[in-house]
Amino acid sequence: MSAFMQAITDGILGGSVYALMAAGLTLIFGVMDIINIAQGILVVLAAYLSYALSVHLHLDPLLGLAITVPMMFALGTFIQWAFIGRLRGRERTAMSLLASYGVAILIEGILYQIFSGTPVSLQPYAWYSTATIHVFGFYLADIYLIGFGLAAVALAAIYLMLYRTKFGRSIRAIVQDRTAARLIGIDVNRVAALTFGIGVAVTALGGAVFGLTNTFNPDSGYDLISRLLSIIIVGGMGSIGGAAAAALFMVTSEELVNLWRPQWATAVYYVAIVIVLVVRPRGAFGRREARAQ
Amino acid sequence: MTGDATLAPLSVWTIAGRIGWPASNLLLVAALVAFPLVFTNPAVTTDAIDILIFVAMAAAWNTFSGYTGYISLGHMVFFGCGAYFTAIATLDWGLTGSGVFWLLPLAGLLGGVIAIPFGLVALRVRRHTFVVITIAVVFIFQQMAYNFGVTHGSSGINTPVFNFDPATYNNPFYYVGLVIAVATVAASWVIRRSRYGLQLRAIRDDEDRARGLGVQAMRVKIGALAFSAIPLGAVGGLYWLTTYTIQPPYAFNPLWDLTIALMAFLGGLGTVWGPVLGAVLVEGAQLYFFPQTGGSYLYYLVYGGLFLFVILGMPRGLIPTAAELIEKVQARLSREPPLAAAVSDGEIDAEIAGGTPAAVRAGESA
Amino acid sequence: MTPRSARFLSVGVTAAILTATLAACSSSSSTAGGTTKSPIVIGASLSTTGSFSADGQAFKRGYQLWAHDQNKKGGLLGHKIVLKFLNDNSDPNTAVSNYQTLITVDHVNLTIGPFSSLLTAPSVTVTHRYGYALVEGAGGSPLVFSTKLNNVFDVSLPVAKSLQPLLSYLTSLPAGQRPKTAAYPTVNDLFTTFQTAYAQQVLSAAGIRTVYPAARLFQPEVAQYKGIADQVARTKADVVVLGSLDVPTVQAFTQAFVQQHYSPKVFVATAGPDQGAAYVKAVGGGNTDGVLVPNTSYLGAPDPVRNAMQAEYVGLYGGNTSSINADVYEAYSVGQVLTQAIEAAHSTSNAKIIAYLHSGATMTSVQGPVKFDAVGENILATPAVYQWQKGKYVFVLPSGVSGSVPIVYPKPAWGK
Repeated sequence: MSAFMQAITDGILGGSVYALMAAGLTLIFGVMDIINIAQGILVVLAAYLSYALSVHLHLDPLLGLAITVPMMFALGTFIQWAFIGRLRGRERTAMSLLASYGVAILIEGILYQIFSGTPVSLQPYAWYSTATIHVFGFYLADIYLIGFGLAAVALAAIYLMLYRTKFGRSIRAIVQDRTAARLIGIDVNRVAALTFGIGVAVTALGGAVFGLTNTFNPDSGYDLISRLLSIIIVGGMGSIGGAAAAALFMVTSEELVNLWRPQWATAVYYVAIVIVLVVRPRGAFGRREARAQ
Repeated sequence: MTGDATLAPLSVWTIAGRIGWPASNLLLVAALVAFPLVFTNPAVTTDAIDILIFVAMAAAWNTFSGYTGYISLGHMVFFGCGAYFTAIATLDWGLTGSGVFWLLPLAGLLGGVIAIPFGLVALRVRRHTFVVITIAVVFIFQQMAYNFGVTHGSSGINTPVFNFDPATYNNPFYYVGLVIAVATVAASWVIRRSRYGLQLRAIRDDEDRARGLGVQAMRVKIGALAFSAIPLGAVGGLYWLTTYTIQPPYAFNPLWDLTIALMAFLGGLGTVWGPVLGAVLVEGAQLYFFPQTGGSYLYYLVYGGLFLFVILGMPRGLIPTAAELIEKVQARLSREPPLAAAVSDGEIDAEIAGGTPAAVRAGESA
Repeated sequence: MTPRSARFLSVGVTAAILTATLAACSSSSSTAGGTTKSPIVIGASLSTTGSFSADGQAFKRGYQLWAHDQNKKGGLLGHKIVLKFLNDNSDPNTAVSNYQTLITVDHVNLTIGPFSSLLTAPSVTVTHRYGYALVEGAGGSPLVFSTKLNNVFDVSLPVAKSLQPLLSYLTSLPAGQRPKTAAYPTVNDLFTTFQTAYAQQVLSAAGIRTVYPAARLFQPEVAQYKGIADQVARTKADVVVLGSLDVPTVQAFTQAFVQQHYSPKVFVATAGPDQGAAYVKAVGGGNTDGVLVPNTSYLGAPDPVRNAMQAEYVGLYGGNTSSINADVYEAYSVGQVLTQAIEAAHSTSNAKIIAYLHSGATMTSVQGPVKFDAVGENILATPAVYQWQKGKYVFVLPSGVSGSVPIVYPKPAWGK
């Protein structure tokens, strides 16, 4: 029984970290019909940024977020302006997959060049990375609780932005009908660029938590993106709440399968995608099938 | 069915094209057959085999994704199954000589068979969802390869020692690869010109409308998928034979799907020769530059840059873009507007910025 | 009709490029001479990028260090050693192609091994075809020897029974001190599974109860590690035999164990703690204390060559002897064995080298004595177990052998 509870706890806490990383991805897709494959390597880049700040300026990784979040926002806006925004045509979504893959390779090469392949971690730079609180006989790692908290805050912030600000309304208008939004005077390109920037800025948070809970090197992006992609598809692309729910659900299921046959846990993950997509292609909470091609 | 050029006045190009076209093809094939006899260095032959494998994969992939517009990142499923089938059968049946090559068509057929349930599941959804499902299936197969006993899990399967003459060891594999590549490109060309190919393109341009016109979309799509899977199964087996080992992450490597897609896009998605050119360029460059990079990661920057350049700058690919250029030069030289032949049903692609109907045709029929 | 021009274009361009590319490939050769005093070129495919990049780079340093040292002594039979490396990106297909290129295009005199059994196994096949010897130090799994080809020589320990000294030690403890339970979390990989399965077999036969079986493999993906580690921590096993490939796995398990306030009496990992500085930095110095890892040993009197090599490495790259990655020793040993074979055979011909290495002769290396059996395994490679003790990486088992230090058992609590 307690192995079961342990699995559930790990699933929820671990899932929240993925929710954090996935939130930006789903926002980008929802607004722009762009599948940003570079999201995985961007998380790794953000982790490396936190790492560099910790090593050279001795900044705590969480405090360093004050620097890394704006940096990632700027980077996101740049990527959108330089690459993604230049995609045209009907095949934009499929093309965005390929274009963002190109961006991902570039970033990976730059990371390898600067940091080499040696795995590093933020763990030694944060005194709380192994601290826990003791609750109901379980040790809950502080760092995962912080991740959970950050995820909740970030998702709430995004939600508030979407539903309580004018900017957010423009975003929602674009999601509903891009052409109509343009017709009523929304500067679609500018909003899209900013949204991409926000989506990438959120990865700064995810990256810090990822770096605190894992050892990583430039190669780590691939495992991440396959999971993130799965999460946003299952949750429904464009739905923030869906991404959060899917992240929690899928990581928890994986932990439960770990109790039985860990070597199948990853397979179950992908089978879940196939089942969900076939039964309900828009995902659990997706509003509707994204624009048909 | 299409308003073809039968009504256009015969130009030098047409005559040259009618005679020269099959002749140049034959010349090319003859040159490729003679290739290992002229360039005898086995390292060159090995590289050539790698290129042929990618030519077959890109051309086959294009026969499905290029013609139907459904970008698949799941073709490695067929490749990996073909590779493992060949490996398991070779060891089970104790093959050590040229008998092993008869396994490759079987491996291809296996790929085709697997494509059917794959298609039945995956092709029911719209395109962006389809992409993600295909990626997921590759991972599922990879996990199965890790965990099923028959594939020997993470250890993989080594080749036995084959009894081919060491002096010309790579040549039999080269010729087999050549046969597969030529057959794939030829089949791609045949399909393109056929009514079936037209149905595929109708689906690409507007699936609902195609259905309305009577195209059995699901059947057509699955057929194309199964057909494109066959060369992949076969070259999967050839890959095992020339790499001497196979393991799950290499049999079912999702990154190769992206590479094949890049090759097709680079050369010209939906054209017959585009993927061939793309495969030659990308794999050739990779084989030449990559080992020289040593500790530098310049390779990543070049590769990523290439990807971006192709997707953003030349989304139609090299061949259609080059054809358009030639077209423009010709038009300027002859000072008359390009021949305005009819454009076939459903081929109007309004998204080509500034394209002329001739450019559309050039893109479609190259 | 203009589309035809596109076709001519495509066919012509394709043919031209195909020819040009391959002609270019074939022209990039640097012939190495066979006449006296011209350099000896030794070729290897190394993983400087890709999943083995950390090990590949360490291996490269080992090879370079050896070549540098041997050149100071006059090279090989008077010929200066020149190393030629090609990057295989941790991909077996590329490794095969690289050796093919090194042999038939660059005409290297000799070849030495890549990193990992995964890449070594196919490389053996291709080097065998040209009659080249392949002395290597990182391909010790049965996958490599199952080819049964005569040109492969692994100077390092065959991996299957690498944990033997630790297993012997644990089963020989008196009943009061002996651990009661053991967990064997193992990554699904050809390097790890044999080792932990063997460990489980031995320990359970001695009455140490298995509470987390070796067969319950998990995938080498970071997302998996914490969940598995927490489950292992929950078992409160006395012994944890972690089948790991690299530092990230060990770090994840260490972090999870610390968080769960779980400190096993014995914590041994099949790889990771042997990576020197990379391991210490990732895990945090205080957490390394008492952690064990198997490795090839050097038994016997202190080896001046080994000490000199260590000093030189530290001089070049910083750190101390404990921060040297095990891969460096493996690579250096490859060079040493090759040197001894060449000097004994008075020839750099591959056939003579292969014959000598199969003759049953005993050679020395910084990893200990080397002697090959018929399939190329080093039958004198004695498994040894190392331990981190207060920041120093020391050899502890088998005990009582010159150079060994008493093992610290049970493992001290996690420190910080």
